[in-house]
Amino acid sequence: MRLAEALLALFRVLVYIFLLAPIAVVVLASFNAGNFLTFPPQGLSLRWFVTFLQNDVFIDAIVYSAVLAALATAVSLVIGTMAALYYVRHAGKEAETVRVLLLLPLILPEILTAIALLFFFYQIGVGLEHRIALFTGHVLMTLPFVFLNVTTSLQGRDEACELAARSLGASRMTAFRRVTLPLIAPGLATGGVFAFIISFDTFGISFILKGTGSAPLPIQLYDYLRFNFTPEAAAVSTVSIIFTLAAVVVADRLFGRKG
Amino acid sequence: MSRRRPLLLIAPAAALIFFFVMLPYINVLVMSLRMPGSEGKPFDPGFGFEAYAQFFTQDYYLSALPHTLWLGIITTAVCLLLGYPLALHIATASRRWRGILYGIVLSPLLVGIVIRSYGWTILLGNTGVINKTLKDLGIIVRPLKLMYNDFGVVLALAHVFLPFMVLPLLSSLQGIDPAIGQAARSLGASRLTVFRRVTFPVSMPGVQSGCILVFVLAISSYVTPALIGGMRVKTTTILVVDALIDQFLWPFGSAMAFVLALSAGLIVIAFAMLTRMKWK
Repeated sequence: MRLAEALLALFRVLVYIFLLAPIAVVVLASFNAGNFLTFPPQGLSLRWFVTFLQNDVFIDAIVYSAVLAALATAVSLVIGTMAALYYVRHAGKEAETVRVLLLLPLILPEILTAIALLFFFYQIGVGLEHRIALFTGHVLMTLPFVFLNVTTSLQGRDEACELAARSLGASRMTAFRRVTLPLIAPGLATGGVFAFIISFDTFGISFILKGTGSAPLPIQLYDYLRFNFTPEAAAVSTVSIIFTLAAVVVADRLFGRKG
Repeated sequence: MSRRRPLLLIAPAAALIFFFVMLPYINVLVMSLRMPGSEGKPFDPGFGFEAYAQFFTQDYYLSALPHTLWLGIITTAVCLLLGYPLALHIATASRRWRGILYGIVLSPLLVGIVIRSYGWTILLGNTGVINKTLKDLGIIVRPLKLMYNDFGVVLALAHVFLPFMVLPLLSSLQGIDPAIGQAARSLGASRLTVFRRVTFPVSMPGVQSGCILVFVLAISSYVTPALIGGMRVKTTTILVVDALIDQFLWPFGSAMAFVLALSAGLIVIAFAMLTRMKWK
């Protein structure tokens, strides 16, 4: 019995290593001093970070992805929160239908949704102009995450506080802004962080709908990796991972404890 | 309070989903029933089952379907095998450890798909970390084929979808009262018996939703098989994208996508019936 338990513990440790390995390897590779991606690194250096910072293509891509993610998250937060309010307080019998509809973008294969959007935007004559299709796709991908998180934080509260504020003379808007909004802030923060990360990292939607001109970071990285194998890509990836972790940590520090 | 006002809350989301998810998907379904194009046009006028007939008569495309479904089943099995001990571990861990382990389990989701695949390339490539280590240790002479094949694809898919298995398992396991297990043990049941007769049956809803989620995600994933499989692993999803985007075979690609969705649906239903899933 002892042996079986030890084996099981070993197995678990191996699975945890399996989960972390590909990420750890990328981060380690980015500090490689050599010209090629070798492992273990041939000495430590920050040279590939310097190369990356001097490369306008990647800097542009990171800025482009960050702006796109911020805009998509903002729109998703408004639409998703409204939908969550409806789902928790007013949906009644249609609640299950509302939930499935809002989660559709998550359930359907992303690449197929992207292609369906591509056809659709061409058939209504818009095509990939002005990045409307790309933006719509990113809002769709992020919406379920806002909806899920806000729904969870709304379900913990009843409407009584807001009704009390209303009965004391607050307008509907004031009651929402001063009472409901602070209560669901943790859900909004988590949903927002998730939405931002999803938009920042999503590949299928951006790959199909990017159009011409500058592209989001994952696409730029993918294009680069098809022809190059230098640690510069690892440096870009490490920065991107730090970006994501920072977003999670900030949100957790701001709202995690209260939620 | 007017009855119309709440509907305004759902209107933007409903409009978004209707116009940009449902209509485009209906459009793809209609596309699959159009006539395959000739002379470089994406499709010809008229409707029929021509595109479906093309799919079922071309072995190159047809043979990818069972292979795709098979990869999905294997990935699901691997996720269940790796995920169950983790879920059990996290469910019984102390509060402090739980946060850390939870973070590790979610970590694949926090890193973009391109970066993750890149990490696997560094690990699994012919001159990658694993092959190089084994060579230096004198265990192998020629590099093992770890990627650009089904093995690499299943490994990378299991890695990214493991969280989708562990989370439902965890939520069903956390509902179990530890007292039940203790009672069974005090009545003389072995640990294995407790697992077989108490823990596993109670976690069944988690097993079911985890398996269905992983299977559906695995067969419809595109980037991982494309990057790790290096175009040498042929899945229906890759063929769909190839037909629609590169070859302009719009009705054919759409038909292929719907055959895949339908077969996946049938497998999910069969699985649910086999495990006697209780629909909510």
